[in-house]
Order: sequence, then structure tokens, then C-alpha cells
Amino acid sequence: MKEILKLLAALTIISSGAGLLLAYTNKVTAGPIAAARQKETTEALKAVLPDFDNDPADCTCSFEEGGRTWAFHVARKAGRFSGAAFQTSSSKGYGGEISLMVGLSATGTVNSVRVLTQHETPGLGTKVAEEPFKSQFNGKPIEGTVWAVKKDNGHFDAVTGATISSRAVLEAVRNGLDVYRRHAAEIARTGE
Amino acid sequence: MGFSKELKKGLWDEIPVFRVVLGLCPTIAVTTSLMNGIGMGVAATFVLICSNLMVAALRNVIPDKVRIPSFIVIAATFTTVTDLVMNGFAHEVHKNLGIFIPLIVVNCIILGRAEAFAARHSPWLALADAIGMGLGFTIALAVIGSIREILGNGTLTLWTPLAWTVKGYEPVLLLILAPGGFITLGLILGLMNKIEERRAAKAGRACSPPADFDCRHCVICKWGVSAPSDSPPA
Repeated sequence: MKEILKLLAALTIISSGAGLLLAYTNKVTAGPIAAARQKETTEALKAVLPDFDNDPADCTCSFEEGGRTWAFHVARKAGRFSGAAFQTSSSKGYGGEISLMVGLSATGTVNSVRVLTQHETPGLGTKVAEEPFKSQFNGKPIEGTVWAVKKDNGHFDAVTGATISSRAVLEAVRNGLDVYRRHAAEIARTGE
Repeated sequence: MGFSKELKKGLWDEIPVFRVVLGLCPTIAVTTSLMNGIGMGVAATFVLICSNLMVAALRNVIPDKVRIPSFIVIAATFTTVTDLVMNGFAHEVHKNLGIFIPLIVVNCIILGRAEAFAARHSPWLALADAIGMGLGFTIALAVIGSIREILGNGTLTLWTPLAWTVKGYEPVLLLILAPGGFITLGLILGLMNKIEERRAAKAGRACSPPADFDCRHCVICKWGVSAPSDSPPA
């Protein structure tokens, strides 16, 4: 009995010490982590959107559709609608979820696409985040483009050896564009 | 048993991945590029140093019967600290290493060094052991990572401005995938045994391969010829 208490005490003390240290680290790093995430979003928005002079990170409108929330970041220049960006994802990647930031321009084309997170095979699937795959999206009209890889009769070259990853990216873009089409007018008015 | 002796043994004689053959899961998983290898190595080294120091400092306080849970709690704590700090201050590297940072907890090297060394030595020597082993682990990951990145991707990247591309070379994708990790590791282990044999021959002493890695323990080439007597009938 006495020994059990001794063991209990030792484990309790060690665990409490660990808990304290963790709480302190969490407190110290919470700020920088949030700032890094925020910076990531701002940078992604800047990369995918056409010119703007408002703060798209703050100028948003969102819709509940297909069991998830779609937030559109609206870019304006000199008061006029210049483009919108949305975050989308697909769980059909080779290594799980792939999430993207897609930027649209006011002229009805995709401006640019940026991969935010992915867990694809290094050197293979990860190439969906790089050129030349990425730049295929630039300037493609939203209507009239088949958002699928050529193997599925679409307009996009898949990354060699990474058809599954390429398909996942296109699926994510396609789903997002569907939502955009239904709400385009409302999105363009946001922030007026 | 000096500080430098404990430090040096982790660099060749007991270099974690190649000699002791511990910590293979992160080794195979993250060594697809040089930078990932170094990042993982440095993170594991930090955890190893903290956990070794803590275990050595508490070695007379922790009752023997609960030493393993205690070591795990200590390793897990420092791993989470590393995870949070990297997430906040080295966000890019953290994103690349992703799931493998939390997995440092179950890296056998951490628990192995706590149990085999830190629990029996002073914090000073435990520190030397941790630095040596951590450096050895980092070097091992960097070597495998470089080979796999050059052959499997045709590049070698230390940091964004320091990137080389091998011109006119078609990368062998297999090297980037998991089998490539095992193949590279196996060839390096063989090479190291060869070097060790040469050194032993020169010094005029008998070379004994690491236990479990020579013909005495292997039955592969005996298959089909005559089954080992102690194996159950097929």
C-alpha cells in the first residue's frame, strides 16, 4: 500500500510538472502561432487575387452549402468589385485532405490558385502545388472550361504519376466554383 | 568516461540510425529531402537533450517501477513544447514535417537513451550523450535525405537560395517513395560494415559485425535447402 502511494505520488508530481510547462509554452506560443496563420491567409489572398485596395481578409460573405461553410473574400479597387477568393478542399487526395485558395477576377476568370495544405507524396503529388500544374488555372474562364483532368475529358493536364492528387485539386476547385455561380451577384455586392 | 567520449560515440560507433538501427519510422518517412532530414534531426535532438537532462536529473527520484511512464511523459512534454515552438517561430519547416513532429514521442531513440543511458548517469554525461546521439541522428537523416533528393528528385536544396538542380537527369521516383528509403538505408548499412571491416583488418583485430546483422542470425539463404531444425514444420 505504501509503495503504491509512493508510485502514485511520483507520477502525479511528474505529470503536474509537465502540465505546468505545457501550459506556459502554450501561453507563450499562442500569439505567434495565430499570427503565422493569419499571415498565411493574407499572403495567400494577396497571391491569388487581382489588384485590390481594401482588406479582403475582413471583407467576406459566407454561405452554408453541402454541409460546410464557404467564405468568400471580396477584393475591391477604388470601390469597384475586382475579384473574390475562397478556400476550398477535397478529401480525395492521395494523402488525405488538400486545401486550396482560389482567386477569381471580376471578368469571370480564375485568376490564380494556391495550395494551402497537402499531405501528398513528396516529389510526386506535391507537384500539384508547383508549376506547371498550378499555372494551368490562371486566366481560365469560369464558364466554358471543363474543370477536370484530360483523362476525365477535362481541360487540365494531370501531374505525371499523380492523377489522384490532380483530380482532388480539380474537384475542390469545381465544388467551389459551383457555389460561386449560385451566389455571384451577391458576392460582387459585398462591401459596397 | 569523459564528456567528449560520450559525445563522440553517437557520431560513428553508436550512430543511431546506421549502427543501432533505431528510429527507422521517421527516418524512412521524412528523408525525402535534405531540408526535411535536417529539420527532423534538429527537432529530435532538442527533445533528446531536454529529456535526457530531465531523466538524468530525476534518476534518483523516479521509482524503478514507474520509470517507463515517467520517461514517456517527459519525452511527450518536450515534444509538444517543440511542436508549439516550431509552429509559432518556424512555421514553414513545421508545415513540411507535419505529423512527424508529434511522432518524436515514440521515436525509440528518445526512450532508448533515457533507459539505457540517462537513467544511470549524471546530467552532465547525459547531455553529452544526447548531443552526440542527436547529432548522429541528424547527420544520418541528412545523408539519406541528400541521396534520396538527388537521385529521386534531381535537386539538392539546403535553403531556398541554396538549391542545385542536376541537369539532364531523369529522377528515379522510386527513391523518393518509401522503398527508396529502405534501399538507401540498406546500402549505407552495408557500406558502413565494409568500412568497419577494413578498419578492423588494418588494426589487426577481428571484425565482428553488429549482432543481428550477419549470417549467424539470418536464414534467408537457407530457405529451400534445409529448414532450420528449430523452426516449426510448414
